[in-house]
Amino acid sequence: MSEERKINCPIWQKHPQTRNYGLINVLGLFTFYIREIRRSFKIWGITLVAPAIRALLFVTVFSLIIEDSAKLVLGLPFLNFLIPGLIVVAILERAFESAAFSMVYDKSEGIFDDLAIVPLSPFELVVAYAGSSITAGISVGAVVWLVLLPFGGQIPALPFTLAYFVISGSLILGLFSQIVGLFAPKWDYLISIQVFVFLPFVFFSGVFFTIDQLPQVIQYFTWANPIFYIVDGVRYGITGVTDGEPLIGVFVTLICIFVLSAICHRLFRIGYRYRF
Amino acid sequence: MNKNNSIFSTSPVVRSIGIVNWRGLWTLYLAEVKRFYKMRSQTLIAPVITTLLFLIIFLLALDGAEKKIGDLTFSVFLSPGLIMMSILQSSFANTSSSILVSKVQGNIVDTLMSPITPIELTVAYVAGGLTRGLLVGFLSTISICIFVNIHIQHYFIILFYAFGSSMMLSLLGLIGGIWAKKFDHIAAMTNFIIVPLSFLSGTFYSVELLPQTWQNLVWFNPFFYAIDGFRYGFINRMDGDLWVGMLIITILNVILFMLACRILTIGYKLKN
Repeated sequence: MSEERKINCPIWQKHPQTRNYGLINVLGLFTFYIREIRRSFKIWGITLVAPAIRALLFVTVFSLIIEDSAKLVLGLPFLNFLIPGLIVVAILERAFESAAFSMVYDKSEGIFDDLAIVPLSPFELVVAYAGSSITAGISVGAVVWLVLLPFGGQIPALPFTLAYFVISGSLILGLFSQIVGLFAPKWDYLISIQVFVFLPFVFFSGVFFTIDQLPQVIQYFTWANPIFYIVDGVRYGITGVTDGEPLIGVFVTLICIFVLSAICHRLFRIGYRYRF
Repeated sequence: MNKNNSIFSTSPVVRSIGIVNWRGLWTLYLAEVKRFYKMRSQTLIAPVITTLLFLIIFLLALDGAEKKIGDLTFSVFLSPGLIMMSILQSSFANTSSSILVSKVQGNIVDTLMSPITPIELTVAYVAGGLTRGLLVGFLSTISICIFVNIHIQHYFIILFYAFGSSMMLSLLGLIGGIWAKKFDHIAAMTNFIIVPLSFLSGTFYSVELLPQTWQNLVWFNPFFYAIDGFRYGFINRMDGDLWVGMLIITILNVILFMLACRILTIGYKLKN
């Protein structure tokens, strides 16, 4: 009888119970993921339209200055060579901004420390942030691809290769973004890393030119630049033409994902710069 | 006996400021300069790096070392445009973000309450934007000189165009910052107006290359005059006319200055 009374009594008379989440806190993970997604789509003017406009500007400017449109790069007209690069730049930029900007915003609002008390394991936090980065990357990539389609874009030649490199690319940058976000106490740091680390890495990764156009010394750096393999892989997926070796690209991206996610997991485990 | 009186026992005196409140003007200007200098890696060095990256990309992608526009190498043609682009964007960013940050944080009230007239306010903010724009332009020029062999032909014209265009964008930034409610608005203005206008203004190409319809549109783009005239100072050649460019920039500056003063006087979106 007492059991029955306990069940029917109001919630404030019940004894607190331990909540059981099972192996993975699916509800928490999903909630966190949705929050990140909503955050990035709420400002769709900045996150989706602006990258498309920027890519369109690049295409316009390049198509105006190239006088002999017969010039081939890797056997492709220059615009067909350039457009996959622009798509991947938009994806990587967005993925890099996703987690880091969200974290630094939380820090400036003083709610980032709440991560220390949410019932999410470090693994779940990494997955939720990374998932949001991948979603953001894919969506901006699709928008830019669609916008550039009439100007020399093309239907992907190898959809599965394309999908792999888009996902792994936005995952790598998303994980890097988490490390940066955890490290950066203020906006200044974020912008500095974006300008001094991210931009040079991306711009020297064969987006606008093939690597044999570079001086010999810089070519070695390019071979060591993981972003080069992502750019090349995406270009291979869209046009079917490659500058490097896609299989090495798969290998390099897998190693990057593994190393970066291990670092992210470790940082969330020790609560780097948010748990004291 | 008066000498022994402390400040508490004397009656308050009206402070007279004179026609121009030089001290207030200088203080606000210094505040503006210190604001951006504090974040110098972001406000001074980052634009320079971006300019250099653009230069390298365009040269590599187009085999720019050999490419020629008329009798000039492409790099010499491109450099002044890139310098001007960095000046324009920095000037706009400085005034707009300054106003918006103080609006969001709520301390714009203190600036409005201080004994400074709207004209002095405008001058101080614009001078801050000018300082940043010209500093960035100077640094970009020096760093580009390392890579590209550019010669300055007309110092006065370069100075005039750098000054005039930087002032124009500072005024635009001031008006934009007052109009904007959120950071999104400023980002939208930068992404949808400032960046497209500066990309499509002849930074990267000579206007002669454009199709006829575009050529006609370019004459309505004020950024075109800024970049074209600035480039004339380096390469002694321009698409438009030197005096028309100067006239248009001056007229735009006067109009924008009056507009900014008017907005600050009636307190549009600032006082209610």
